[in-house]
Amino acid sequence: MSGRRPHAWRRLAPLVAALIVGLVVVRAAAGDVFHPPGSSHRHAAATRARRTRRHRRGAPARSARTDAERLAASGRLASATAPAAPATPTAAERASEARIWATVAAAQLPENAPVDVRDGGWITAGDLARLLDATKFWRADLRKLELRTRGHRVLLTVDDPFAIVDDRTVELPRSVQSAGGMLRVPVALVDSLPSDSTLVRLVYDARRGLVLRVPEAGLVRTPHVTDDSLEARVVFPVDHPGDADVIGRGRSHFRLRLAGFFVGSVPDSLPEGHLVRSLRPLPSSLGSAFEFELAPEAQSFRILRDERHGALTLVIDRAARRDGEPFAPEGPPGPRPVHVIVLDPGHGGADAGVSVAGAVEKDLTLALARTLARELARRFGAKVVLTRTDDHAVPPEERAERANRAHADLLLSLHFDAAPGPQLRGITAYCPPATSSAASEAGGSLLVVAPWRDVAVRHAVRSRELAEAMLTAFELQGLGPVRLRELLPVPLLGVNAPGLMLECGVLTSDIDRARLTRAGGLDELADAIALGIAAYERPR
Amino acid sequence: MNRRVLLLVSLGLVAVLAWVVWRLRVPEPGAAHGGDVDTLGTGYKSVRLYFAAPNGEGLVSESRELPDRTDFHDRAAELVSELDRGPTGSGVAALPPGTSLLHVYLDDQGLMTADLSRAFQQGFRGGSTNEYLAVASLVRTFGDDLPEVKRVLIVCGGEPLPTLSHLPLDRPLDPAELP
Repeated sequence: MSGRRPHAWRRLAPLVAALIVGLVVVRAAAGDVFHPPGSSHRHAAATRARRTRRHRRGAPARSARTDAERLAASGRLASATAPAAPATPTAAERASEARIWATVAAAQLPENAPVDVRDGGWITAGDLARLLDATKFWRADLRKLELRTRGHRVLLTVDDPFAIVDDRTVELPRSVQSAGGMLRVPVALVDSLPSDSTLVRLVYDARRGLVLRVPEAGLVRTPHVTDDSLEARVVFPVDHPGDADVIGRGRSHFRLRLAGFFVGSVPDSLPEGHLVRSLRPLPSSLGSAFEFELAPEAQSFRILRDERHGALTLVIDRAARRDGEPFAPEGPPGPRPVHVIVLDPGHGGADAGVSVAGAVEKDLTLALARTLARELARRFGAKVVLTRTDDHAVPPEERAERANRAHADLLLSLHFDAAPGPQLRGITAYCPPATSSAASEAGGSLLVVAPWRDVAVRHAVRSRELAEAMLTAFELQGLGPVRLRELLPVPLLGVNAPGLMLECGVLTSDIDRARLTRAGGLDELADAIALGIAAYERPR
Repeated sequence: MNRRVLLLVSLGLVAVLAWVVWRLRVPEPGAAHGGDVDTLGTGYKSVRLYFAAPNGEGLVSESRELPDRTDFHDRAAELVSELDRGPTGSGVAALPPGTSLLHVYLDDQGLMTADLSRAFQQGFRGGSTNEYLAVASLVRTFGDDLPEVKRVLIVCGGEPLPTLSHLPLDRPLDPAELP
């Protein structure tokens, strides 16, 4: 009997320790605050539906104001942990982030020609003919040059300020000149060319000093910013208002991607007290992207698309609106050290994951993890730990344990997706939901008992920030569309670190499969992931 | 010899009679209104079924007329059967093929435990989107068409199903949390 007791204690001790250490999680730990669920990129409508449903069931509807803000307002949450005033990055941090995004390959310039900007701007007739794909006819006796293209003609006369475009006479600000054996034309002529579909569209981009051939995706022109007591509006004149995505929802890093090439300019500074504090273009390999810094008073936002007038309007509300979408929470400012990165290649062994036309998920995740490990070690000098290094099955709890033992600063679980139809493509990120339901159920106590399984929820805000940075990188590199789902996935169960499960492409999509399986496809993906981590990390 | 012929004829008549009775009792789905079948004895109810959207981004719903049954198990099993049968509109079937409902339990808190056939697990072909859509299609359909259901716990073949691959299924799911 006496020999049995120590044995029983030995069996009980880890259980008791696990109960004490594991089950009690202080969910309001520093830097980890809670916000309403469901504010994901493509799920705003669903969030609204959820709110409506709660309302229908008699539960109080949530406002766009975050739970943490409400707790902070009621004095129940230490101000140090509340994001009532979103983190405003310092000038050095912004500069550092600008450097990070500057490494994104910018969208290729459309066919263009230089403009001599003196005296209001000049373009050579040769360049004009090239851009219009026109044939030139020179009448030396009359000193006239005719450009003919697709049923249109432009007649220019040396030393004459009048040009004939089809049957119209256009008065130019200055006469056409002959210089060095070449005619040069006031660039204002570009605005007088026919704008029907039979002729190539040209636009003068004064910022770049170029005349550009308008690409198929159209143009994005100079945004117009207004601000009043209720809201701020940023109106972008665009050719395709329907094609726009919000790719970052934090107040200090609100990001918008638009189809079309940006040919305008943004204001250098905006008046103090406005909801929009700054606005700058971001490089993007697909269309154009903009980053806004918004004031903490901003409560919700809306995107209005006006196809008829060709305008896309971002409306930022001072008071939360039912039809507005909430902003993402942001943690305290400053660097986020990333010394240990755990990469979790999904599946393995008998569990092959998705398998389509020779593309096998378990092999792709391992190959991506190896490529990414090299890239991260090179860029960050970080310690990179893989939860599996060969083709064998590792149970989820063992993967989590490896990440926790390594004291991961962040974990990325790498997967590839499959959908019922062939249309879905792009990248989906899953991050832990940051809800306060447990807190409210506990009567508002700051101490919440939660199972160790859900420990990743402690890092929900950081995980969300990581997701924002990562998805922005994917979008800017042209790997989108991107989606964010706030659901705690199995690979993050029991992981005590900020983390994401990334579905890095959809193998049932021919486009994605071709992109991923071609030479360099995984390198491109690894590059975008590394860029996302760099943006998350900010300067050390 | 005559007795044997008589027996065979009798058996044939019984079989024909049984078929006629069965045909009258089970009308064609969708023929509840305006069809030739007499529906006087069976009430029909409109249900909303959720399938995957063609672009894979979420769910789409379609309504269907089903015989109105009082037994909770029958109602739930019929919904699963209709989901397995697939959409008639633009949606795409989200459940692994062959999925059926073996048993169902409902407690007084509105927690429904749905015990699905093994096909649900064995027919799954991977991918978190496939998984999400399969689970969401099932849970949303139950949530909409069975008003007494507040949350759904999925088990498979009489055993707990912690996950298909990526999404935890070890806890009850709230239909409102699966947009």
